[in-house]
Formats: sequence, C-alpha cells, structure tokens
Amino acid sequence: MEYIGEHLGIGKVGNVFVILSFVFALLASISYFLAAKENEEAASWKKIGRIAFRLHGLSVMGIVGTLFVMLMNHYFEYEYVWHHSNRIMPMRYIMSCFWEGQEGSFLLWTFWHVVLGLILQRTAKNFEAPVMSIIALVQVFLASMLLGITIGEYHLGSNPFTVLLREHPEYSKIPLFSDANYLANPAFDGRGLNPLLQNYWMTIHPPTLFLGFALTVVPFAYAIAGLWKKQFNEWLKPALPWTYAGVTVLGIGILMGGAWAYEALSFGGFWAWDPVENASLVPWLVLVGAAHLMLINRNKGQSLFTAFFLAILSFLLILYSTYLTRSGILGETSVHSFPTAGMAGQLLVYMFCFVIMGMGLLIIRWKHFPKQTSEEAIWSREFWMFVGAIVLLVSAFQISFYTSIPVWNKLFGTNKAPLKEVIKFYNNWQLPFAFVVTMLIAIGQFFKYKNTNIKEFLKKIAISFFVALAFTFLMIYILDFDDRYFSILLFSSIFAAVANIDYMFRVLGGKVRKAGASIAHIGFALVLLGALISTSKKEVISQNTSGKDVAQLGKSYSNNDNILLTQGDTLKMGKYLVTYVGKRHEGINIYFDVDYFTKDENGNLVKEFRLAPLLQTNPRMGNVAEPDTRHFLTYDVYTHITFADMEMLKDKKETGDEYAQAKNHTIKKGDTLFSSNAIIIFDSLSVNVDKAKYQLKENDIAVEAHFQVLDIRKKYKANPIYVIRDNSIQPIESKVDELGLKFMFWQINPEDGKIQISLQEKKSNVRDFIVMQAMIFPYINILWIGCIVMAIGTVLAIVERVRKK
Amino acid sequence: MKKIHILGIIIIAIAIGAIFTTLNNTSTYASFAEAASEPDSEFHVVGKLNKDKEAVYDPKLDANLFTFYMVDNKGMECKVVLHKNKPQDFERSEQIVLIGQMQGLEFQASDILMKCPSKYNEGQPQASK
Repeated sequence: MEYIGEHLGIGKVGNVFVILSFVFALLASISYFLAAKENEEAASWKKIGRIAFRLHGLSVMGIVGTLFVMLMNHYFEYEYVWHHSNRIMPMRYIMSCFWEGQEGSFLLWTFWHVVLGLILQRTAKNFEAPVMSIIALVQVFLASMLLGITIGEYHLGSNPFTVLLREHPEYSKIPLFSDANYLANPAFDGRGLNPLLQNYWMTIHPPTLFLGFALTVVPFAYAIAGLWKKQFNEWLKPALPWTYAGVTVLGIGILMGGAWAYEALSFGGFWAWDPVENASLVPWLVLVGAAHLMLINRNKGQSLFTAFFLAILSFLLILYSTYLTRSGILGETSVHSFPTAGMAGQLLVYMFCFVIMGMGLLIIRWKHFPKQTSEEAIWSREFWMFVGAIVLLVSAFQISFYTSIPVWNKLFGTNKAPLKEVIKFYNNWQLPFAFVVTMLIAIGQFFKYKNTNIKEFLKKIAISFFVALAFTFLMIYILDFDDRYFSILLFSSIFAAVANIDYMFRVLGGKVRKAGASIAHIGFALVLLGALISTSKKEVISQNTSGKDVAQLGKSYSNNDNILLTQGDTLKMGKYLVTYVGKRHEGINIYFDVDYFTKDENGNLVKEFRLAPLLQTNPRMGNVAEPDTRHFLTYDVYTHITFADMEMLKDKKETGDEYAQAKNHTIKKGDTLFSSNAIIIFDSLSVNVDKAKYQLKENDIAVEAHFQVLDIRKKYKANPIYVIRDNSIQPIESKVDELGLKFMFWQINPEDGKIQISLQEKKSNVRDFIVMQAMIFPYINILWIGCIVMAIGTVLAIVERVRKK
Repeated sequence: MKKIHILGIIIIAIAIGAIFTTLNNTSTYASFAEAASEPDSEFHVVGKLNKDKEAVYDPKLDANLFTFYMVDNKGMECKVVLHKNKPQDFERSEQIVLIGQMQGLEFQASDILMKCPSKYNEGQPQASK
C-alpha cells in the first residue's frame, strides 16, 4: 500500500546519523588507541581520532536534532513520537518527551559524553589519547544501543527512527493502517507524555542526573589511562576537578529526584529507598569516596590502589544501575523502572566489558605500583579520610546488596522479596555509617596531614564539640526527640556542621574561596540533619476523627492514618480544623479543595490556608494521586487523597434525582435512625388509617407508622403504611421531598412489636466525601538549604582547584 | 599487624553482616497455601483479583478496611482483608502483590502493590472512523 503524507525522509536522515555516530565512535576509539602508543605514527592517529570524535559528536547532535524536529512537528508515523508526545501537550514539556523513552534517555547520556569529550580534547593534553580512547569506546557501546539492527536472531539496540508505527509488530494489524491516508485522520493523535512527568522537575532532573552519570566516565577514563600508561600519580591532578563536578552534579540530580517525588508523588516523603533511587545513590557514595582518596593520594601519595579502585568502581556502578533500571529485572520491586526493551543482554555485555577492562587492568598493574614506604600515622588526616572513604564504600555495599535481591533471585533461583518495612531496614543499617561519616567530617579537617599534635587537636575541636552538644540538647528539647538511636546522628550531624563553620572562620580566616570543602561538608551535614529530623519526626495528623467509626469493627491493626472528610463538615486534624469544600475539574486533574482553620482566642474559626491535593485521571497509569503541600519556614503540611468515590466524580445532575439503594432497618418504638441529612425517630403505630385518602378497600388491613424526621432547621413527618390486601403485602410509601427521603413499611412482628422498614435517599443527598492522608514534615527546609550549600561548596572547591593549575 | 589489616577485618565483618541480614530480612513470594502453612510469617502473594466476587470498601465505616477475593498464581482463591484504603483504580489491576500473613481463612494484608495494564502494556493507536 502507498501511504500518504508520511515523512519517510527524515527517518532515513536520522538513521544515517545513528550509523555514523557508531562508526565514528569506533574510528575515534581505535585511532586514539593507536595514538596512545606514542610511536612515529601517533601524531597522525591522534589527528584522525580528533576528527573522528568531532564527527561522532556532530552525528549525535544530528540524532538529537532530528528527533526534536520529529517531536515538534508531530510526526506520529514514527513510533517514538507517537509513543511519547501528542498534539494537546504543552510545548514546554517537549524536552521531557525527548527523554521519556529508553532511546531518548540513552541519547541524553550519549550527548553529555560528547560534550565532556569535546572539552577533554582541549584540556587533557598528555592524557588526551588514552582518555579519549576510553570515552570513545564507551560511546561505541552507547551508540550501539540506538542501532536497531538485527543480526540473525539478535536485535542490537533500539532505534527511534526506523520504527514506523504501522510496521511496529504490536500495532501493524490495527485496522487504522488499512487506510492509506491514516495520518490525515483528525482523530489520530499520539499517546502523549505521561502526565505525571509533566512537572517542571522532570524538565531539569533527568538532564542533571544524566550529566552526573556522564561525569563519572571522566575519572574512570583517567584512572584507566593512568594504569595503561603507568602514570600512576599523574592522572590524579587533571581528574580531581572532574570528580568533584561529578559529586556535585550527581548529588544535585539525586536530590532533585527527591524533590520531584516529594512534590508530585504520593508515597509521603522525598526518599523511599526505592531501587531506582538507590541505583543512583550507590555510585554517588563511591564517587565521594573516590574523590577523597584521590585527594589524599595527590597530597600524600598514599592509598593509591583504593583510589584507583573507587574511581573505576563508581563508573562501573553507573553501568550496573543502568542494567538494574533498564533490563526489567527489578520487576515487582520498583514502581518506576523502565519497561524492558529487550536490551538486557546488550546491557550485560556492556557492563562486563568494562568490569573486565577496569578490574583486569588494575590487577595486572598492581605490582608496578610505587611501594608505599611508610604507614599512615593514626593521628593523620589521610588515615581518617581513608577510613571515611571505606565507610562510604561499605555503606554503598549494603545498599547495593539489598537492592540486588531480584538479581540474586535470578542467579540462584531463589524467591526472595524485599521486606515491607524496607525503609526502616535501610535506615537502621545506614544510620551507623552516617554517624561515622559525619563524625569524620567534623574532626577530619582539624587533623593535619602526616601527624597531629593530639593535645592541640583536642583543644581546637573542644569548642565545636560543646557548642554542638548544647545545640543537640536544645533540638531534642524543642522537637521532643525521644529516639535515642536517632539522637546520636542528630548530634553528629550538628557537630559536623558546627566544626566546619568553626574551621572555616578560625582556621581559614573566613576566606570563602578556600573554604569550598568546609562549605560542602556543612551542606552535607545539613542535608542529613534535615532528612533525619523531617523523617523521624514526621507526624501523621490525619487520624480519623469523623466519628464514623473504626472501633466498632475491633480491628486493632487498622493503621488509622486516613481521615474521612464529608463535604461541608469541619473536623479536627492535628492543630487544625479542616473542611472539605468541594472539587474542581481542570483538564484531567480533579482538585479537592480543603480549607484549614485555627481557632482564635474567642473561639472563632480563622482560615489559615487552602490545600488542593489532586487526582490525576492519568490515561496511562489510571488515577494517580498527587499531593499538595503548604510550606512554612519550620515545617510543611503535606496532604494527598487516598480515596475518592469515582462514581461521585461524575456530574450530580445525571444521577441527582434517582434514589440510591434502599437500606433495611428493623426497629422498635422509640428507636432512632440516621440518614445522611436527618435524624429519624420512630414514634408510634396506628391502625386508624384514613382508608379513603389512600384509596384502600374495605377488607384491606392497614397499619400506619409515624416517624419524626428532624434536620437542623425543621421537623418533618413521614407516615408509611403497611397494607395487606388479598394476602399480599402492598405497602404505601411515604416521602419527605424536602430531604429526599423515601420510607416503605414492610413487616410487623407481632411478638416483639418490631417493624421492618426500608429507607431510600436521593443520590443527590449523599454528600461527597474524600479520604485523605495528611502529615507534617518538620524542618524539611534544612535539607533543601543543605543541598544548595553543598552545591556552592563543591563548585568553590572545583574553581579553586582549576585556578591552582 | 598493620592498621590497614585491622580495618580490613572490620570491613569484612560488616560486609558479612550486611549479607547475612539481607538474607534474613526478606520475605518470600509465595502462594496462599504456603502462606497458610506458616501463619506467623510475612509473605508476598502474587495473584489476580476475582472480579466475580464482591469487593467491599465502605470508607464511611472504616477508611482503612477493604476486603476482596484474590486468586493466586496456583489458582487458589482466598478472602483478603486489606488494612488500608482501597487503591485508586483497583478494578483495573492486572496483577496484585499482597504483603501480609494468613490468619485463619483470611489473608490479612498490610500492603498492596498493583500492576495496571496501562502502565506496562502500552495503549493502542486509535482513530475513530
């Protein structure tokens, strides 16, 4: 069939770029490899390598550009465009469409490597050839992920351009494609970007995180180059600023992910030890360790092996986390890993190649390492920095090992599942590590390289120690902090912050430019402090106070975190009184407005603020709850909807006049019933029924029940009649139209005088309600401030290091 | 003995500790029958919702109580009492993972994970004609 209006040309162009990027990466890698040999031909190979890498870069830009053009012009004939965008989506999220898919995110990663490679070509000098050879090799693997060619039975990569929607195996048989002019069909549109990702954090979090990932390749490439060229110490100096940059960018990227989760997801926090989160935290921890060891080695020439090991490992862990999140192996344990694209095998090959290369080379070269003549003194800075790096490594190991449960299951055929209380498990394990690390951060800088006079050291540190201790007790008092285990970390984090502030002013004389490390450490301590306080003192305030009760079921294990709010009612929740005002529809979002009041001295309600947590009727994931949070200086009020009756979300007019299902009641005189809007009292029965009025026959037996129906304003009467005519029951209903109630009288039990009635309410009577969860996160701002401080500190450290060159 | 060796021993000890606790602090993917054989331990049971039987959630009575019937992967059906709110879109779920323990004939679940078809299998291109 000849299809009309398809833009097949641009796909071919894109595909040419894909192939070129692969070929040039391969050429660059080989040329640079030969250039690293330093023979006569080296210079010309280097030239070829340079050009090849630039052409590779150009091709990658070409791929990126082509994909953007396709996305912006809505070329839905291409699977990737159809899959990740649509016409109605705001254009500002076009970037998010770009990296939503597997291919696009690989492309983003590749793109950053190109940028870094182009900078390194100019700055690496002697190291250019070996370093660029490694980076180009990494690019060969990444470019192969986009190839999308089939060799025999095996698919290599997944190509965003060649896959036409009509040729896509899953969709090819769809009747739509029997129309040659399907593109002109006005109803044909893309699937669009997952609305959950239509959030500004999703525009900046992925590129930041991927730049962080990409930056780990630089210390890796330098370390390999150092081993390869036997320049065991020379690689450190140029690699250090890159390592710091990696620490900064990856750290910020991870915390941005946390900020997104806190704002757009409703799991109730910023960190859940989810495998995907762990997959980026683990390499970061190792990279931080690497940065410190590289620094020791640069200054004192010690711990060389470990410095190499960690620098190589952090990149390998990035590859491992790529495997974890993209091979589909996490399956049930994580909600937000990528679906599989059949690349598990390719990812494994990619990882093992570099594991063998990195670790193999390290082992081979080990015996050539310069002999360490003396052991570190116990009171030296280098010794304690070394200890700190090792603690980070062990901490990373613990997280990694537990996160890898699905991998162990696959390897050993076991059937293990992570605990439900997984957060608590990680917290308990990580707390001692965090304690040791923060203690080391506090005292580390007060130690001198080589050796320290311990008396002087104690004198210097004493002030910080006691100030921190005083602060800690104050915090414990203010926060009513009762957990002893957590108090230890509370102290050590405060100690770390205080000691570094002290160091910055007393020792460095407040010279900000030199204080990069101190500032970064203060930031890190604040991040931990904020995380510790906001998580351990997190308070769920949405206990059910609706009175519509839980206790009668006797379920002691009911977690009781949810509050039921009926429209119009005001309930107490924590220190607030809350009212569910109503709901608003905006596009696919349904906002639930909830007002928060406090009482003033006179007992009057004063409105404080309104929060509108929402339900997103997400066409791709079903209904997703998104939280709404009120930020105060010292705490956040965080709320999200846990249940809303979707039936009620429809317009009331449709169903308003119908009666809902009847409820049966067996009652005796004097009993009280409740409808949603009234109190109903059963007064009496009478046999004196006005037969004419109800058109009853002479032989009919009729009994009338008298009810008082009370709402807030008025008293009504309801008199349903029980009628037996010719041996059958034919009751006469009684309505209270003002309240939308209908009564039917079905049965009398002469023995105990009880009667059975049914009560129906109009659907419009049943008031809307929501079930909500609300919590208070105290002092979470410390965490965000810490994040910014840490970023400033590391940037200062990088600037200082580059300047020193 | 050098300091480095002492440090090494400590690290190895902690690492072994981490491995050991990982192995001890896991629950198991299991069927209802297996869960019933050890009523006091926590299990992950994977299965499908029985859509023919009644799922009861009355938030006005208890917002944290939801009961339904699930058929596990071995085909055994069991009543489930979930001590949480009814998840949004529960009916659309394709697969359910329950976390909890067996008590008598009921599975008392403290948490639930769901897979919705839309999340993994993508929708189809559509156009009305």
